[in-house]
Amino acid sequence: MPTDWPGQPDLSEIDIEEIVPYIRPDIDTRGGVDDWTDLPDEIKDTFDKLGIPEAEKNALSGVGAQYESEIVYQNMQEQWEDKGVIFCDMDEAVQEHEEIVREHFMTKAVPPSDNKFAALHGAVWSGGSFVYVPEDVTVEMPVQAYFRMNSEGMGQFEHTLIVAESGSEVHYIEGCSAPKYSEFNLHSGGVEVFVDEDAHVQYSTVQNWSTNTYNLNTKRAIVEENGRMEWISGSMGSKATMLYPSSILKGRGASDNHITIAFAGEGQNIDTGAKVYHNAPETKSTIESKSISKDGGRTNYRGLVHIADGATDSSTAVECDALMFDNESTSDTMPYMEIGESSVDVAHEATVGKIGDEDVFYLQSRGLDDDDAKQMIVSGFIEPITEELPIEYAVELNRLVELEMEGSLG
Amino acid sequence: MSAQIPAGLTEETVERIADERDEPSWLRQRRLDALAALPDRDLPDVIQTPGRRWTNLDELDFESLVDPNDQRDETERVGPDGVAVLSFVEALDDDEYAALVREHLDSVTEPETNYLTALSAALFTTGTLVYVPEGVAAEDVTIRTEAASQSLFGHTLVVTEESASVTILEQTSSDPADDPRYVSNVVEIAAGENSYAQYGSLQTLDEGSYHYTLKRADAARHATVNWIEGNLGSRLTRSDVETELTGDGSESKIVGAFFGHEDQHLDVNARVWHHGEHTTADLVTRGVLDDTARSVYEGVQDVGRDAWDTNSYQRENTLMLSDDSEADASPKLIIHNHDTEASHSATVGQVDREDLLYMTSRGIHPRVARNMLVEGFFVPVLEEIEVDEFRNDLRERIAARLR
Repeated sequence: MPTDWPGQPDLSEIDIEEIVPYIRPDIDTRGGVDDWTDLPDEIKDTFDKLGIPEAEKNALSGVGAQYESEIVYQNMQEQWEDKGVIFCDMDEAVQEHEEIVREHFMTKAVPPSDNKFAALHGAVWSGGSFVYVPEDVTVEMPVQAYFRMNSEGMGQFEHTLIVAESGSEVHYIEGCSAPKYSEFNLHSGGVEVFVDEDAHVQYSTVQNWSTNTYNLNTKRAIVEENGRMEWISGSMGSKATMLYPSSILKGRGASDNHITIAFAGEGQNIDTGAKVYHNAPETKSTIESKSISKDGGRTNYRGLVHIADGATDSSTAVECDALMFDNESTSDTMPYMEIGESSVDVAHEATVGKIGDEDVFYLQSRGLDDDDAKQMIVSGFIEPITEELPIEYAVELNRLVELEMEGSLG
Repeated sequence: MSAQIPAGLTEETVERIADERDEPSWLRQRRLDALAALPDRDLPDVIQTPGRRWTNLDELDFESLVDPNDQRDETERVGPDGVAVLSFVEALDDDEYAALVREHLDSVTEPETNYLTALSAALFTTGTLVYVPEGVAAEDVTIRTEAASQSLFGHTLVVTEESASVTILEQTSSDPADDPRYVSNVVEIAAGENSYAQYGSLQTLDEGSYHYTLKRADAARHATVNWIEGNLGSRLTRSDVETELTGDGSESKIVGAFFGHEDQHLDVNARVWHHGEHTTADLVTRGVLDDTARSVYEGVQDVGRDAWDTNSYQRENTLMLSDDSEADASPKLIIHNHDTEASHSATVGQVDREDLLYMTSRGIHPRVARNMLVEGFFVPVLEEIEVDEFRNDLRERIAARLR
């Protein structure tokens, strides 16, 4: 467990002895039911409120829902199943798709020896999603998994494995939430993505964990020749987040795109960023980060771009912008660049500023009140990122930002 | 990580250095305290990322690098009328200057910051006081030090009183030697209210030497301290140039230029802390790497809770001339007050191909064109230098390295 990173969140409260690593939800069917109406009312209500069944009807190819430590609902449209696409929970995948799982599960991308939480995850993981997309199949609508921790003092350790064969394409969306308790919760998920030649995987997360949750994840993708990996992350919730999705650009022409939004309010420490290893020629990465801190919250962009010797004609562009609301908050930017190759194009830019009094004044003169004006400025600030998101997600993200703003401005 | 204690470094050694200089008891005690603290001090922090340590200071063998019993140097100190530019021995011999040294020494840097500063405090033999009295405007103070022994420790104290102004050029050099040298240079500037100081430093040590320099200023109300840090020499350099903007309305520029070739390793850092209100900082570093040279850069802009109305900017650009060179960079923003306009940017790349094409299409030989572009790359840094001699010297040395 890193304890000496400059400015990192305080993790001393986490007592691994105290964490309940596994809670079996109250359902009969292992691997989840495939009809929402078969779920117990309490669980069904939770997901209804989160709007998951509604979203499934309208915009998704498949949905998985995890409640506590197991997937309780799993469904995928038939047309994708017919093409050989697999979307199931990880426990089932271990049984049914052993060959693929064995090859990829915590072997190449996130070995348990990687860090303390990866080791813990390797020991106690349960649930999570398994996505397999065969060669040249494009899954046109996103698949989504939703993770809910409902019990106090629990740890959720789901494992997600995505294998995209050459020429395939898939967009995976992950949502997370938990009600707030006085005890701390721990979310330590593991995500491994394998992007084969010419494949394209987009991984979007909107995390709205309650503010007693420690969110410490390890997410990593290995990208082969001309493959493309996109990480889109919105970090709104949690007490402390340490999350740095990584892409290892292994094949020539592989590319990576990171989009990150972090919003830290009172008592929150959101330490997030990106890691990209350029290990082959003509690899490209772009990282865009927007962070907002208010009411004493802290955001930090912490990122590493490594260009190995021999990764000729590679390029990377990193852009971090931060907005601060007040004098109690903190906004840090800590990028690291390691450049071992000369024929490259490396650029990093960052800005930090406050909400402009003049901007607020202008909007007020147009009849908006102070809160609405600030909300509008924040929406504008993150717009370059929300416009990259699928519409349902952009709406969700905007709504979460509004809620965060209301919470303290109201 | 702490390093081993150099061979022959005992209380007697330190007492002897103090005796030879006829030092007052407080300065002698400062040496002894630093020596006592040495075993507990760590080497300066270096950046680590998974599987990589950017500079391996802990691989330096201080036991053999440092010979505490032999420090020799040729130091030339020149200043215009009205300004005192004195060795510590001279300064401590005069009641007024001795009081100044006692008052301001360690007011900006601390001997026990790390292993290398403690080593310097215990052993330094080359002390320089630059004292600019209230209201005096002085130009072209020069301090030239040539290290003649295997190891050398220097400490320069600059005191600018209210509304004083000064430009200083410091040069640190050495001739090639059989054994690697270790040259340490600590500089502190206590900048009084409304004073101005530009401190230019040109390091051209022989390329078998190891170099540590810590330069730190504390700027009072409306004071301005501008640093120019030029690093061309040494086998390995660790340079920390820092300003504390303590007073309201204080300003600082930290301008850096480096040019590494062969197997040089240059670890250059610029850091600024905004404490007062209405403070401004501008960090500009430009560096070129050739052959298998490596650079490490950390830039820190730290804005404190009470630093209202802060402006803080940072730019770092590295040009790679060789495929075997390596550049690591980490520009950091630490912002605790929202009433801030802060930005930083960093780039690493080669000489622009289009620029090169344009120049060769005008009949300029590719090699000449490249060299012109590299010289042009340093112009924004050269333009900041107020001491003509320093600017010309740096420009010529860059041109010489390109030939």
